[in-house]
Amino acid sequence: MKKRLFGLAAFLLYTLPMMAQGSTDDFFRSTGKLYVVVAAILAIFIGIVIYLYNLDRKIKNLEKQIKNE
Amino acid sequence: MSSIKKDWWKWLGVLILTLVILIGLLVPLNPGITQVSPSNAASGTTVSVSANGYNTFFTSAKSIRAWLKLAGDHALGAKSQEIISDNEIIFTFDLPQSLPVDQLYAETALVIDSDIDGAFVRPFALSINQKEVNVELGEQAWSVDKIHELTETNHFRYPFRNILVETIRNTYFHVPLWFGMILLFLGSVIHSIKFLRKPDELSDQKAVGFVSAGVLFGIMGLVTGAIWAKFPWGAFWSWDVKQNMSAICMLIYAAYFVLRQSMTDQDRRARVSAVYNLFAFMAMIPLLFVIPRLTESLHPGNGGNPALGGEDLDNTMRMIFYPAIIGWTLLGVWMAQLKWRTLRIESRLRE
Amino acid sequence: MNSILVLLQKEFTLEFRQKYAIGGVFLYVFSTVFIVYSAFIQIPVTVWNVQFWLIILFAAVNAFLKSFVSENNDKQLYLYQLVSPLAVIISKLIYNLLILLMITGLAFLALVLLAGNPVRDAGLFFLTALVGAAGISIAFTFIAAIASKGSNQATLMAILGFPVIIPILLTIMKLSANALGLIQDTAILSDLGILLGLDALLLSLTLLLFPFLWKD
Repeated sequence: MKKRLFGLAAFLLYTLPMMAQGSTDDFFRSTGKLYVVVAAILAIFIGIVIYLYNLDRKIKNLEKQIKNE
Repeated sequence: MSSIKKDWWKWLGVLILTLVILIGLLVPLNPGITQVSPSNAASGTTVSVSANGYNTFFTSAKSIRAWLKLAGDHALGAKSQEIISDNEIIFTFDLPQSLPVDQLYAETALVIDSDIDGAFVRPFALSINQKEVNVELGEQAWSVDKIHELTETNHFRYPFRNILVETIRNTYFHVPLWFGMILLFLGSVIHSIKFLRKPDELSDQKAVGFVSAGVLFGIMGLVTGAIWAKFPWGAFWSWDVKQNMSAICMLIYAAYFVLRQSMTDQDRRARVSAVYNLFAFMAMIPLLFVIPRLTESLHPGNGGNPALGGEDLDNTMRMIFYPAIIGWTLLGVWMAQLKWRTLRIESRLRE
Repeated sequence: MNSILVLLQKEFTLEFRQKYAIGGVFLYVFSTVFIVYSAFIQIPVTVWNVQFWLIILFAAVNAFLKSFVSENNDKQLYLYQLVSPLAVIISKLIYNLLILLMITGLAFLALVLLAGNPVRDAGLFFLTALVGAAGISIAFTFIAAIASKGSNQATLMAILGFPVIIPILLTIMKLSANALGLIQDTAILSDLGILLGLDALLLSLTLLLFPFLWKD
């Protein structure tokens, strides 16, 4: 499931700009440097995932505490 | 149902951000010229200037006109044109013997007007050299053609900036993170003040939550800024004042967590970190808004170049930029809330 | 007002009773100047400028570190009942400013003796030194007060203090580079204004927030 979602996200990120510009011959609109925007969005996505991962770890600890009680 | 009602702002934030990402990526840029060659020519010659268009549709245009433009009203129309493709066109200009300037060279801009793409300009496209100065003759030769009846288009498009091109879209992903960060830190300051007025564990937890989300936004702002800077500035990190001061600002808030770690007594930790939080916020303001304005900086809004006022943010971009700030901030508040709720459960369990 | 004077007197008596602390700071100033002098022999003006402020910065950290650490809890409780926290912080601020001005003067003397006097605009230089020393002493006094609440105060003070001091330090360096004739700048007045503004901001924050730190 996770993998499939990721694939969909990658597909959307790749194709949306293509649909917008109507040309498929240059990768990520290299002349226009659209990949800079895609990279920035990915960086934000990764940041949010790291935050969620940390929170997840914390909550797991709490769950363990509840179980032990 | 009640949770949707209570958490409406979370859904509003998600909706706004979805629209911002979609519209931010889908709306095309205005047409522009990415490259002109040759870049210089001698007066009195016939020169073929090839222009590479961006987002242009030369082949489907019914009429295309082009001028070389000098300062003032002086212009020279193209004699003929040859369309190579949608994105490439060659204009031929008969350059007059003299230029209307008392220098040996002049920089001209290339103005193209097409009935479907509208009018667009490449500044400093062609520089023309002359052997002798004859202003009067030049005035005559450069006043025959006039730039007139430019096509006005009314598309919903983002502006074309030569050094930015598509990266102008990062305005919706980099800049709002900083606005969001400031707002999140402000939220944490409000809770710290609340705590100092009336000590209460929840205020302390909320302050911590807001600071964590704010720090995340700041780090993401630094990273997206570095990615963006690589293209127009040439390096991820240019040791620019704004970059340095933002990094120091992150250090100030990293110290907030170090300070909390160094104290074991709950009450004392909450009080001292609330005091430090207020101090950090006030120390951050000169770092981000006063010092960068004093020194030379590449960053818009510093060292004299305009940020949100000038051409960089036109009305079309404003319509997405302001909602983007709201959207990112709402997402940040949501993340802060998750954090302090976890902290609250943690402290309940400890009791 | 009276209690501030009494507290100041207490600080000075304590200082003279344990001379090694302040003596250590003086020794530190001289040894740093001497090391840099032996390394460079001819000290360039840019290095002079940087070294002067670095000496003051590190001497300030060393000297102020103990200003709250030495107030152990029993004594603090006693003081808390006797005088208002404002009197405590004001006396500490005045005392630390005087110490830092002394260090500044000493560093200046040591550098002039060993490396010559590159100051072109003496008025601007001493004004910068005064306003800058005030800023550094206010910032580090407050940071010392915060750090004294945690464990491992010396590290904490460095971590908390240096990001906060950077805007002050950068402005000071720019102003004193002007006074040394290293750069020509027209924005001297606005820089001085910013330095004064930072001082005022830090001072008001310190006075406002210290009472919350004090009640333990």
